[in-house]
Amino acid sequence: MSGGSSPVNGLDGMFGGLKIASSGMAAERARIDVIAENIANARTTSTPEGGPYRRKVVSFAPLLQRALDGSKTYLGVAEPRVRVDTRTPFQRIYDPGNPDGDADGMVMLPNVNTVLEMADLVTAMRAYEANASVQESFMKMAERALQLAR
Amino acid sequence: MGPNVDTGLISRLMAATELRAKVIASNIANQNTPGYTRQEVRFEDVLRRALAAGRRDLDGITPRIVADRSNPAGPDGNNVSLEQEMSSLRENQLRYETYATMLQSQFDLMRLAITGGN
Repeated sequence: MSGGSSPVNGLDGMFGGLKIASSGMAAERARIDVIAENIANARTTSTPEGGPYRRKVVSFAPLLQRALDGSKTYLGVAEPRVRVDTRTPFQRIYDPGNPDGDADGMVMLPNVNTVLEMADLVTAMRAYEANASVQESFMKMAERALQLAR
Repeated sequence: MGPNVDTGLISRLMAATELRAKVIASNIANQNTPGYTRQEVRFEDVLRRALAAGRRDLDGITPRIVADRSNPAGPDGNNVSLEQEMSSLRENQLRYETYATMLQSQFDLMRLAITGGN
């Protein structure tokens, strides 16, 4: 008989599943945090580094797991990396009263598009919820496996 | 085929369902990962074919994780469909419940045989 067949092994498998779902939740949470930071700084015109705030983006990568036979599978999401969006240009608006403006009264605003951020926020929240219901499913399976031992 | 053969097969089906639950969890966790290709577990169909062909050495058949490129990938190269994964997850959970119930009834029968109903 192959491994992972007794209820005890089965439970162990469930813990692995919980971890996979929580890696997804952690990744989405990191994204939500970054989106919140972007929205909060949507009009920050001067930063300690100089210039307006630059939008941040989170990049996800799958977590690679190598089996004993050398085959590769992806189980979960790796720790997400936060990068600065240098591709999207700053917005330039006319605001003569702004102390951060240049001689012509033009001010550089962050490259944050709040509508885009809000849309991303909704996707991230849905994804977070989906991972949470995956965890619930694992809990139900683990409970069922436990019942076998009764 | 005695009851032991059955429980062995059911246990292996349960193990395959557990693995599939993990793979679906991974697909859902990676729904926003650029370039991710959804994975799936192949086991039941291979087993079914082997049984139909009258093979006896079923132990050699193990669940395999394969990349599934049948879904069209989005602009970010990711081909996970959340709806599909959620329904697979539920189907898989029902399968697990079914196998657990089958195993439970086998155990109950064994207990009955041992105790003689006392």
